[in-house]
Amino acid sequence: MTEKKLKIALAGNANVGKSVIFNQLTGLHQHIGNWPGKTVEKAEGTLHFKGYTIDIIDLPGIYSLSTFSLEEIVSREYIVDEKPDLVINVVDASALERNLFFTLQLMELETPLIIALNQIDMAEKKGIKIDLKRLGEKLGVSVVPTIAIKGKGIYELLEKAVEVIEKGAAKPSAISYGEEIEERIRRLTEALGKIRLKYPARWTAIKLLEGDEQVKKEIYDLSPEILQVAENLAREIEEIHGHPCPTVVVSERYEVAGKIAREVQQILPRIKPQLGERLHEVTIHNILGYPIMILIFLGIFNVIFMLGGYMSEILNGLLYGYEPLFENLFGLNPLKEIIWGGIMEGVIANITIALPYIIPFYLILYVLEDSGYLARAAFLTDTLMHKMGLHGKAFIPLMLGYGCNVPACLGCRIMETERERLLAGFVVTLIPCAARTTVILGLVGSFLGLHWALTLYAINLIIVFLLGKLAFKVLPGEPTALIMEMPDYRLPHFKTVIKQTWFRLEEFLKISFPLIILSGLIIKFMEIFNLLEPISRFLSPVTVTWLGLPEITGVTLIFGILRKELTLVILATLLGTTNFQEALTPLQMFVFTLVVMLYVPCVATIAACIKEFGWKKAAIISLLEIILTISVGGLAYRILAILNLLEH
Amino acid sequence: MLTLEVVEMELPLTALREGESGVITSIRASFGWGKGGGYGLQKRLMDMGLTPGTKITVVKSAPFHGPIEINVRGYRLAIGRGMAEKILVEVQK
Repeated sequence: MTEKKLKIALAGNANVGKSVIFNQLTGLHQHIGNWPGKTVEKAEGTLHFKGYTIDIIDLPGIYSLSTFSLEEIVSREYIVDEKPDLVINVVDASALERNLFFTLQLMELETPLIIALNQIDMAEKKGIKIDLKRLGEKLGVSVVPTIAIKGKGIYELLEKAVEVIEKGAAKPSAISYGEEIEERIRRLTEALGKIRLKYPARWTAIKLLEGDEQVKKEIYDLSPEILQVAENLAREIEEIHGHPCPTVVVSERYEVAGKIAREVQQILPRIKPQLGERLHEVTIHNILGYPIMILIFLGIFNVIFMLGGYMSEILNGLLYGYEPLFENLFGLNPLKEIIWGGIMEGVIANITIALPYIIPFYLILYVLEDSGYLARAAFLTDTLMHKMGLHGKAFIPLMLGYGCNVPACLGCRIMETERERLLAGFVVTLIPCAARTTVILGLVGSFLGLHWALTLYAINLIIVFLLGKLAFKVLPGEPTALIMEMPDYRLPHFKTVIKQTWFRLEEFLKISFPLIILSGLIIKFMEIFNLLEPISRFLSPVTVTWLGLPEITGVTLIFGILRKELTLVILATLLGTTNFQEALTPLQMFVFTLVVMLYVPCVATIAACIKEFGWKKAAIISLLEIILTISVGGLAYRILAILNLLEH
Repeated sequence: MLTLEVVEMELPLTALREGESGVITSIRASFGWGKGGGYGLQKRLMDMGLTPGTKITVVKSAPFHGPIEINVRGYRLAIGRGMAEKILVEVQK
């Protein structure tokens, strides 16, 4: 028996509990990937219901169907091109007006639609009561109340979805604008009727009047005359209203959304402020907000480093315990060297980094995100981030960078535009991750003292700010500004957090695993064929003459591309001692660590950059950092030598 | 005789103190059909509900030239100060 297939898309604003509904619907049958050619996450899942195999697509959380962000473009292209059988619009009952603004746009796109009115419990706590029947009548769309986090209404939602599809989902009726606009929409729709469009004609007409860049471009390619007509009509509307045409169209749409919201909801005054409200006030408080934030993040890093370090050591010991077994199996010959040193050590590296550090890291991150705290942190750090040409949201990937640059790079997706993503990505790769912290503390911290280690962090921050500012000036495009919803605080949904963590971990392993093993093998071969020494000699004009380091550091820097902490491990191996004082002068230690901190992103980070920004930009970022390091390292060596601050 | 005078002033959003409300009159930036520059962010603000005639209340104005949190259409929105300076509001005093 073959089951009938259905395609349902979830669409809605950010922070409305869409991913929780997605998880409730699809359970374990999910697949997270990217939209083709776009660095926007695509979550798909399947479920079986009443004889149907239903594919569910979780579209990104967006506020509009314009072309401001990649997410918006992806969403509208999906609805237009893939024509899902039904779109479930997840609406936050506690912010009805803004959510309906998006609903109205879905209706204009003429896609079959039902509404999941979610978080009705939170709305009730805020004193908001919504007349579901009336809302459905006003929109001409079925409305199902849900409390996704508790699993309430999910079954009914699915039932309604199938029922609507079976009945032959009626396309929702469009809203009406003011007569002077309607008339021009009509004229433009008529003109558009002459050309073949993939979008509905009325929607295209509205988007043209809204000044949508992408639609304008598409229409220009098809018929420049129609664009001219649109421009004239837009000017007429501007003259009537005294506001730019896009403003008029958006205002009217919001007016309709507001009118519906006022008619269907009843807002009762609340007796006392909610706990979430108080928490909000404290966490963005002028004075208290900052120490709270610092304490939260210090606490998190402490937990991750302590717990991670402890688990990492245990796992390391456990896995290296298999080395004698390998020796017995293969004997002490090059084959064992390749298999163990090349492959197994890469596997161990992945396991000992990924499990102990990345898992808690993501878990905590998602708890912070889902609870709403990250938005507060972005609010508090906006001023600071502007100093490097970014805005508050960039604080999140930046903070991630101190743990590991790979998730940080991927985390740059939080930024809206491609330009902001690239800027944040560049800055993030300069942040000393946990591996680099090992070197900074292990070498400079323990041999020169903590103040020198802190000096390195300070130098790093200065460089990050200067380069961020410079990149901001060099890259063309609009300046950035924070425009961010501050969602209400809420309890995170545990299962969703776990799943998000799992998918991130999978993504991390997919990126880092092959590369770490491959580069491990290459380096092992170089070692076997005695290529390391010639390479070190080849690098010596830079390492020895310019940076004033011993020749063997060239080898360690090559290994460091694999994993930054290997620079120290290999250095100890080559020196035959961990008492680095015997081989390096204090000045050399400082310069070496400075170089390790900056010289190039590790392979896994480069891979993440390629995935997010493409080959070219990843190569430019890497090259820039090499040049930067050579300049800064050489300068530091000479300045410190002249000042005679460190023994050389 | 004391007459109650209603003075309406157009001010940038940043001039409002915490707890004060105003009605948006315009967003001061090049923004219109086909003008290109500055389109994205202006459109973004509108999509988030900041259209002319909308009443907004400043909830929080962060120190050190920080962002501004407002209440608009029943939800909280944070806006960078640079952007907030371009939003003109009418205040009734």
